[in-house]
Order: sequence, then structure tokens, then C-alpha cells
Amino acid sequence: MKNLSKNIFLIVSTSVLLLWANVAFGSTLKVCKTCTYTSVKQAVKKAKPGDTVLIQKGVYKEHGIVIDKPITILGQNKPVIDGNYKGQVFTVVADNVTIEGLTIKNIATSYRQDDAAIRVVERNNIRILNNTILNTYFGIYLQNSENCVIKGNIVSGKDVTGLNESALGNAIHLWYCNNAVISNNKVNGHRDGIYLEFVKDSEVKNNLSQNNLRYGLHFMFSDGNVYTHNTFRKNGAGVAVMYTRNIRMEHNTFEGNWGAAAYGLLLKEITNSVIYHNTFRRNTTGIYMESSSRLDIQRNEFDKNGWAIRLLSSCIEDTFKLNNFTGNSFDVSTNGTPTMNLFENNYWDKYSGYDLNKDRVGDVSYRPVSLYSMLVEKVPPSVMFMRSFMVDLMDNIEKVMPSFIPESLLDEQPMMKKINYDNNRKLTQVVR
Amino acid sequence: MKPVLKIVGLLFILSAIVSCKPEQKPIPYGAANCAHCNMTVADNRYGAELVNDKGKAFFFDSSECLMAYVNEQTELAEKASFILVSDFTKPGELIDARKAHYLQSKNLPSPMGLYLTAVADKTAATKMHQEHGGRLLTWNEAVTAVKNNEKPE
Repeated sequence: MKNLSKNIFLIVSTSVLLLWANVAFGSTLKVCKTCTYTSVKQAVKKAKPGDTVLIQKGVYKEHGIVIDKPITILGQNKPVIDGNYKGQVFTVVADNVTIEGLTIKNIATSYRQDDAAIRVVERNNIRILNNTILNTYFGIYLQNSENCVIKGNIVSGKDVTGLNESALGNAIHLWYCNNAVISNNKVNGHRDGIYLEFVKDSEVKNNLSQNNLRYGLHFMFSDGNVYTHNTFRKNGAGVAVMYTRNIRMEHNTFEGNWGAAAYGLLLKEITNSVIYHNTFRRNTTGIYMESSSRLDIQRNEFDKNGWAIRLLSSCIEDTFKLNNFTGNSFDVSTNGTPTMNLFENNYWDKYSGYDLNKDRVGDVSYRPVSLYSMLVEKVPPSVMFMRSFMVDLMDNIEKVMPSFIPESLLDEQPMMKKINYDNNRKLTQVVR
Repeated sequence: MKPVLKIVGLLFILSAIVSCKPEQKPIPYGAANCAHCNMTVADNRYGAELVNDKGKAFFFDSSECLMAYVNEQTELAEKASFILVSDFTKPGELIDARKAHYLQSKNLPSPMGLYLTAVADKTAATKMHQEHGGRLLTWNEAVTAVKNNEKPE
């Protein structure tokens, strides 16, 4: 009997608690043509902390919606919010806000203020999920905000091919933010796809960034970040990492970044970073490195680039190991005589040495810098002599009697066969 | 007849000389790399340019990059035919950098993190100063600020 009353008490108390919790989780405010609320702004104004504003299918011509309490904005069947070129659509000035499942479009290009489809100002725990943002100046703009998640969004701008117009904002722009997660987004047609300035300890993964005027992904003064499994295609340059330390770059694909000022990966004054398992395909320059030191570059694929690596002599203590170099016009070029970088156990398709003891490592060392690449570095127009007889002759003579190319830049143990990254555990153990 | 020919010839030569004079070039946004930081020059509110005495143009993505370059290559800067920055209020328009007014304000982030914005017109600069705060600098003060890597508070 005593037990039973105890049980009843438990049941009653939990149900009371549950009811209370239901209140705390908030009610749902529906927005549609025939609902109580016909505009998002109205509903947001009426909502209490913890409420959900459910926007149903339709087109809403609204802008300047200020979210100043922790609520969830949820779109059902992709409702369209048309900013009508009048200013920002969402401005978030509260913590714990979620914006999900909307289509936001038509933000005017503004020079005085950087208008965005969604802007977050000095807040924490903001979640921006599965939205489609079209025809905007800045797409998603976070400033001084921490622990934010930007996931599954499509931010699509203009067609920038042949466009010399700089009136473009960035698709995803973070400024002074920590611990952000940016994943599974598709961005195109902006100045930079994803731009991180003064951002720390953040993660960028599984994104597709293409056809942007400047960079697919851009780090400025942003230490301790990770980016993995992204694809950067046909941007002014795939990724630029500048004035930054401790970056992990793994399993990314850089392809088709082609043009006079284009790079796959542009490194300027970065230190203590790793570049593992990336693919660089058909870029004018795979990696351009300037004043960058203590980088570990391993197991990358450099395929059909103009230059695989342009390593300026201001770079020191960089390691290049177990990379594949195939079909590049130039494998490595440099502008001086760097001494402090290590090349070891890479596969070079231009290598013509032999392996008598059959340990799969070539017996003579390979010099990845050709005399002609040095010449092109110093006199760029001389590139028009590419593949001419004289250049071949010059390079072959230099191979026999090296006198101009850096003495110390060589791979003493080049691999005889292309390294297969899926199935090379055994081999790497041998090599180690 | 002969003097006419001579004059025509002289005029022709003169015009050839005049056309060889260094002149400012439009910045190819999106296609040029900054001469200092190697970034693609993309924002026409902040682009800058230096034309040397032989007419070769160097492009910069921001006025702070131009100033850093000038600090490094003082001789080149002294001999330069043009030192130009973009007018923030009229994007894409180049003005004399040494006569421009520079606003350094936390509210106006420029491409390279030093918050320098160039404006041609004094009154426009004062108005922006009132609007955004920060401090107003002359060319020389701004160059020194870049040299010392001074950021706004």
C-alpha cells in the first residue's frame, strides 16, 4: 500500500513536471496567409522565449526582422522570404536561436554596411540549418559570436565568370568567432565562399565551394582551425591561408582553379600546420608557399597542375613526404636557393632513375626543380618556350651537370611506383 | 611645304613621348594579386595602386598593404609617379593617396585587418568619423601606423 501511494505520487509529480516542461518548451506560432499571423515579423514580435515560429509555404516580402529572444524559426515546405532589396532579412541579437528550412532571397548590395541575409551580432549558440539563400550580398554573417553551427545551407550568388565586378560579398562570413562548425554547405558565386577572420578553434567540413571570384575558403589571422573533406572548384584560388598558425588541412579536393592569379592553395606566413591526404588537380599552381615554415605535407596527390608546388625561398623547415606528382608541367619551382626544406619518398612521374636492390626506392636522387622552371620564375614570359627543343636540351644538360638549380633541393629517396593511399600501410612501414 | 612636314613630324614624335608618360591604370579586380600580400584584389572600396617612374603598375588589395609596401621599398615610393587609393564613398574611383583622408575605425574592417578606410573629401571623412568613431589620419600618420602595426582599440 505504501509502495502504491509512492508510485502514484511519482506518476503525478512526473506528469506535472512534464506539463510544466511543455510550457517551458514553448508554443508554436504559425505563420501563413490564413493563420493568426500573416507576417514573420508579427509572429517574432509576439513570440516568447522558447517558442517556435512555424512558417508555412508561401512568399513573404519582409526585411528587418530582429530576433531578440531565444526562439526557433522553422520553415515548412521551404517558404520564401523575399527581402526585396531593402535591407537585411534576419538580424539575430539573442542567444540560442535556430533558423531552419527557409529560402531567403534578394538582399541589396550595400557599400556602407555589409548587409546579409542572416546576420548574428555578438551572440552564442546560434544554429543556422538547411536554408537556401539566393541573390544576396553577404549570405550568413556572424560577428563576435561563439559556438555557432552553420550546416546544410545553400548560398548561391551570381555567375562570376567573366565578371570583374567586385560588388560581391562573402557567402559565409565569420569575424571574431570561436568554436564554430561549418559543415555540409554549398556556396557559389560570391567574393569568398567561406571567410574566416580572427576565428579560432573552428571546424569546416564537407562543404562544396565553387565559382567564387576570390577564394573558396579564406583564413585570415585565424589560428587552430581544422578543415577536412571539402571540395574547392573553379575559384579565383581554392583556399588561402594567411597569417595563421596550427591549421589542419586533410582530405580536401582542390580542382580547376585556373587563371593568371589562381592557386589551389595559397599559403602566406603560416606555421606549424599539416596538409595530409589532399588532392590537387588541374590548378595553375597546386600550392603556392611564401614565408611559411614548419609545415608537414604528406600523402597528397598532385595531378595535372601547371606548377605542383611553388616554394619561395622564404619558406623553411617544411617537409614533403609520400606525395604523388603526376602530369604536372613543373613539379617544384623556386625563386632562390632554399636549403631548409625536406623532400623524401615522394613519387615523381618524371623520375627516370633505377632501383637495383628492389626496395621500391630509387637509387639515385631526383631533382624536382628544373632549370627552365627557375627561368620561368625569374622571367615569366619565357613560359612560351614550353616544350620546345631548346628547353628540353637545357634541362637535360642541367640534369647531367647541375649548376643553377638549388643543390640541396632534392629527393634522395624517390619512390619507384605511384603510392596508393588506400592500400599502403605496409609500404609506409617499410619506408619509415 | 617642308617646314609643315617637319612640324607634323615633330608633333608625331611629341605625341609618342607624351603617350609613353606613366599613367594610372584601372585596377583589374579579381584578376590581379596584391603586390604585398599576394591576395587577389577584389574589393573596389579598398583597392590601391602604385605606378613607378617607368609606368609599371603595382596593385594592392588595401591601403595598408600599399603602405606596408611603401615602408619596405622607400626608394620606389619616392620615385613613384602615382600612389593611389580607392575612395570608399565612390567605390572604384582612384584618388591621390597622399592627399586622402584615412579613417581608422573598428566599425569598418578593411581587407588586411588594420581598419583603414580612405576618403577623398574632408567633409565626407568627418561625417564618417562621427558616424563610425575611431580616428582620422593623414597619409604620413597612416604610413607610420602601418609600420607600427597599430590597430584601433
